[in-house]
Amino acid sequence: MADYREAPLATRPKTLDPAEYFNLSLDQRRAEEERAGLRAQLKRQYQMQLNNPHRKELIEDPALTRWVYARTNPYNHFRATKKTSLLGGLFGVVPLFVLYYVLKTDRLCLTP
Amino acid sequence: MRISLFNVTATIEHGCRGFQKLGSSSFQGETARLLGAFSQIRAASGPSKGLLPGPYPQTPEERAAAAKKYNMRVEDYEPIPDNGEGYGDYPQLPDRSQHERDPWYSWDHPDLRRNWGEPIHWDFDMFIRNRVDTSPSPVAWRTMCKHLFGFVGFMLLMFYLGEKFPSYQPVAPKQYPYSNLHLERGEDPEKQPEEVKHFNI
Repeated sequence: MADYREAPLATRPKTLDPAEYFNLSLDQRRAEEERAGLRAQLKRQYQMQLNNPHRKELIEDPALTRWVYARTNPYNHFRATKKTSLLGGLFGVVPLFVLYYVLKTDRLCLTP
Repeated sequence: MRISLFNVTATIEHGCRGFQKLGSSSFQGETARLLGAFSQIRAASGPSKGLLPGPYPQTPEERAAAAKKYNMRVEDYEPIPDNGEGYGDYPQLPDRSQHERDPWYSWDHPDLRRNWGEPIHWDFDMFIRNRVDTSPSPVAWRTMCKHLFGFVGFMLLMFYLGEKFPSYQPVAPKQYPYSNLHLERGEDPEKQPEEVKHFNI
């Protein structure tokens, strides 16, 4: 597989990446094994629930719950910085005034 | 503040600490305090506070706990940089779309190309296979941008110049026969029309 050429419009698979294929240090191998271990545990948990004949309910995914919670509750960790204030003003305050002016001076009635 | 609804129990644990932490900022203090008060109220069903995303981790212990929570290695876990936009301790995962994942691996959810329990990218709903694709393009991105905007810019420039400096065949005012259409224009038929000379031989 050393002469693998990339397929067009596709990323090179991780297993064929030459940086990961040759010259792997022990630390890298250990890291990969740890990651594989985590993946295997998650797979096992899922399969146990999936193939449980007594299961009647949906399999709940805690990663999904966390993602949904994180996406719907950003204001818990919101801080007013320069950037966030600028964005808030730009999207929330400026359109009000701009739209007011634009709609008032529409071409049918040129006076505000 | 206790709200007693069916199946909702107000947990005011760390409430006082939350107030103090949020009350440090000046103007935002008022609204932040209110928000902080509401964020302490959750239903008793669902995951416990330790399993849900929390604030940006400050100490290495918090980092390790967050990595364990998200099912990642401590070395792999890198929270999104804290810039006040509300990410908390959510991990920064590589910005790779689901198009780039191996189509032949036996994913738990094959259409999403994702395994159960795997940490989800913040913009996962953008990276699904119906939407944004970060796969390599046939030509480099910069080249594509240059070609497109170069062509569009060039066409815009040329049309603008064409408006400014129009070029057409020489034209003259229209010449009508019958003494400049004397009768058709409704003038007096008895009156002699004025002689209009259109040419010189």
